[in-house]
Amino acid sequence: MTNFPSTQSPYTPHTPADVEAMLSHLGFESIDDLFNIPPPIQFSDSFKIQPRSEHEIKTELKGIFDKNLPLVEFLGHGYYSHYIPSLVDHISDRSEFLTSYTQYQPEISQGFLQVLFEYQSLIVELTGLEIANSSMYDFATSIGEAALLSGRISPTRTKILVPDILRSERLSVLKNYTSNSGFKIESYPTRDSNTDIEKLENLFSDDVSMIYIESPNSHGALEESIKDISEMAHASGSLCCLGTDPIALSILEVPSSLGVDIVVGDASVLGLPNAYGMGVGLFACRSDYLRKVPGRLVGITKDATNRRAYTLTLQTREQHIRRERATSNICTNQAWVALRTAIHAAYLGPHGLINLAKQCIELPLELSSKLDTIEGVHAPSHSRHHFREFVVRTDKKAMEVVQSLEVKGYAVSAIGDHELLICVTDTNSSHIDAFVDAFKEVIS
Amino acid sequence: MSNSPPHYDQAKWTSQSVYEPLLSEKNMTEVSLDGVPLPPNLKRSSLTLPSLSEPELARHYTRLSQMTYGVDSGPYLLGSCTMKYNPKFTEDVAVLPGCSMHPDRAPHTIQGTLEILYTLQEHLATIGGMDAVTLQPPAGAAGEFTGILIIKAFHESNGDFSRNEIIIPESAHGTNPASAALGGYKTIEIPSNEQGTVNIDALQAALSENTAALMLTNPNTLGLFELEIELIASMVHKAGGLLYYDGANLNALLGRSRPRDMGFDIMHYNVHKTFATPHGGGGPGAGPVGVVSKLESFLPAPIVIKTKSGFDLFTPENTIGKVHGFYGNWLCLVKALAYILRLGDRGLLDASAKAVLNANYLGSKIQYEIPFRPFYHEFVASSGDQDAAEVAKRLLDYGVHPPTTKWPLIVPQALLVEPTESENKSTLDQIAASFNAVLTEDQSTLKSAPNSTASARIDQTTAARFPILSWHALDPSL
Amino acid sequence: MTFSIPDDRIYSQSHEWALVDSNTAIVGITDFAQDELGDIVFLELPTIGDILIKEQIFGLVESIKAVSDLYAPLSGTVLEINSVLETEPEQVNDDPYNTGWLLKIELKDLSEIDTLLTAEEYGSQTS
Repeated sequence: MTNFPSTQSPYTPHTPADVEAMLSHLGFESIDDLFNIPPPIQFSDSFKIQPRSEHEIKTELKGIFDKNLPLVEFLGHGYYSHYIPSLVDHISDRSEFLTSYTQYQPEISQGFLQVLFEYQSLIVELTGLEIANSSMYDFATSIGEAALLSGRISPTRTKILVPDILRSERLSVLKNYTSNSGFKIESYPTRDSNTDIEKLENLFSDDVSMIYIESPNSHGALEESIKDISEMAHASGSLCCLGTDPIALSILEVPSSLGVDIVVGDASVLGLPNAYGMGVGLFACRSDYLRKVPGRLVGITKDATNRRAYTLTLQTREQHIRRERATSNICTNQAWVALRTAIHAAYLGPHGLINLAKQCIELPLELSSKLDTIEGVHAPSHSRHHFREFVVRTDKKAMEVVQSLEVKGYAVSAIGDHELLICVTDTNSSHIDAFVDAFKEVIS
Repeated sequence: MSNSPPHYDQAKWTSQSVYEPLLSEKNMTEVSLDGVPLPPNLKRSSLTLPSLSEPELARHYTRLSQMTYGVDSGPYLLGSCTMKYNPKFTEDVAVLPGCSMHPDRAPHTIQGTLEILYTLQEHLATIGGMDAVTLQPPAGAAGEFTGILIIKAFHESNGDFSRNEIIIPESAHGTNPASAALGGYKTIEIPSNEQGTVNIDALQAALSENTAALMLTNPNTLGLFELEIELIASMVHKAGGLLYYDGANLNALLGRSRPRDMGFDIMHYNVHKTFATPHGGGGPGAGPVGVVSKLESFLPAPIVIKTKSGFDLFTPENTIGKVHGFYGNWLCLVKALAYILRLGDRGLLDASAKAVLNANYLGSKIQYEIPFRPFYHEFVASSGDQDAAEVAKRLLDYGVHPPTTKWPLIVPQALLVEPTESENKSTLDQIAASFNAVLTEDQSTLKSAPNSTASARIDQTTAARFPILSWHALDPSL
Repeated sequence: MTFSIPDDRIYSQSHEWALVDSNTAIVGITDFAQDELGDIVFLELPTIGDILIKEQIFGLVESIKAVSDLYAPLSGTVLEINSVLETEPEQVNDDPYNTGWLLKIELKDLSEIDTLLTAEEYGSQTS
């Protein structure tokens, strides 16, 4: 379309003859005649946005992105990435997948429906829970949706318990999701990076709707008392919700067998590279809650030839039918990201997933023990099992360490005056030794 | 070239009982976790998942893609979804190396990322006439919810705690009342008038000191421009309420009218609609929210600001907090910016012009009745004696992804058609010919459709009566 | 289309029916209602011992295209529930007046009976 004038969008395929013929058929002189906008609200100014060619935009945006410092990131704190096999891009970019929308016409959308069904099945296998939806926006909003689900199950209860080390961003989203439905959020203490079980016991009452726990948690530690916590919750009539991710779940004890009722998290650790916080919300729960579950569900049925087929089902709970009494306001979700997650998981298979999860244990062990040899550094600062990341205590002020490491080309997070959170996965493991050396120099 | 429409045959493999087998039906493997360095009480005993080679997976997914239909496959008429062409170069921009930063990077180390976000904030503000924009909401419905929270915070900051009602037209998209309910509001629905637009008397009756806001889309879901929008705005403002714009139909107005100028105080944009980011089979999208200056301090945190030394993240003084764990659907935002830069002023104006031209031309060639006019970028036809859902199934055989059916309710047997600006005259002629062919077909033809899609007519009842939502439920031995 | 409206029972404006027998009544939804709903997939009904209050919501019925609230035609206490509907919700479509019955209740206030519609009155309302 390079021979079209720049007064056009490059993506409108009309020739001048087309336009003339169409207008003539309609009996109008110009396209302007199709609009009846009252003059006072007509916009006749310019946006002052110059159009550019593809080539110009790629060059321009590359130049802008080059302003980002090329630091080696040892960042995690709830958002992680791993190597994505090439198959994922090449399949998910197929335009039938990429340019389709929600499968309102299942007969022509069997392919995408089947992928989402396989994604749901993956999550069911990992969580042990019977229902998994085909995606929510992200980790934080999934926690919010879980809280609302717990409210539909126990309408008289109004309290949600959350760990004191919960990322503040997640807490903020949870508050926004729940405060207008009469919920109160209360935090429970963690001790040495795990739930303080003794103190938790006192917090349960018949007003608690749900307790939310994380494993691995915000400090990279695996929660060791999930079963005790869920038993405590159930004894007082509350639900137990676990936040986690699919790679962790491939080796951790199955949540359903630990008494967990709802599992949430970010499934984009599989399938999505580092994307500045964009993810896909994982959501799974017990079959008892089937009619109260938020989000889209793909189910099996048959078609008129009696063959097995797939369709979106139980849509009457959703906003387009139930409106203000819907289980959620979600419409467009993260389906294409879930597709990528499913492909990545299929590529790895059970062996690959377990190996990847093993690395998430072994790499932090390796890095933390190397850092621990440095004078003035104590790593990991909690004697727990870690997954991808761990807390490091430094005699030096954490922010100074962060800034000095940045000068040396590394990005890390400070989470306290003398505490840093260090994350290591297959994406940065080749830098371990250089990082340790840099750390040594910075500390001395 | 005759006017009879072409026929569509979707590719598929068929066996006796299924089309493409599930991965679970190909080499399910149970792996034990003996080698994993964790104490037994913390780890599962085994993991059972499909184990396939890359060639097998490539075939499996390629076949599934062939049994899927996108904008690149053919016309996609879903109303209020704006299924326009997704430019491929935006995909390449989204994988530029500097694009993949961790969200916890300190602002001074990601000046490029922040510049991209700031530029998009600015351009969207300009396009909507707004003073400030947040890019955080990850979808249109999330944008609506964000808007509701801002409206609430605004009224409460004025000591106004009694405003607990949101007025919404009957014809509004379901996410509107659902989002209002999520915000703790009561929904007051008002009917349309005989022309299909907002019933001013009904609006007057619904407005009170309990009104927090009126949510509208313009053009509305019948494709009609709300000619009395200035009056509506003044009525709502006089009652002390705010006016919210649902941006789903913004594709009709780019460069011709801006929500701010119509009197809207707050709006959301749908980047996957108006700004051409791919719909991805159900998302991701993004729903940025734009506000007038008096609402700026309530925006979600953080927004990107420009300082003397570059760009920074800023927490608005009265922020409502967060509506996404990080910064929203970053990759969609990058693609939207790339699209805006490609089109520029004139391109955006042209996109709307052609969208409206296409809808009007298509509407004039389709022989189904269209009761409400004049429409802009979409129209609602009625299939009359034919069931709209059945008409949709038959359209699939002609390779036309059907319009939205049986909604809005004001038109019986509604077909909400939005061709977008991406179709040319000859494909519009083909689409019209498809509709007109279906119009002449008898009930048994419609009932037996579709015949040439991957699967035949789906049994929705069985799916809902006995929900089977995983391969485990299908085969309990797994 | 003509809908079945048996003479032996009384009807509410919201398309429920009641078959009264001294101080108990069987309750269900009408042929018109099941037709409007389409294929019924699920019902949410109260449990034995629950109290129904006339014109208040006592449950819901879900079809593939809609979810509809059920309104109590008469006040009373639930004695029995048609448990067959848990596995065969389609009975409500196939035979809304017999095998598709919903509940049996013990009536609280027999004078409420007069406020409901006769078959003829309900028939002219739905035509």
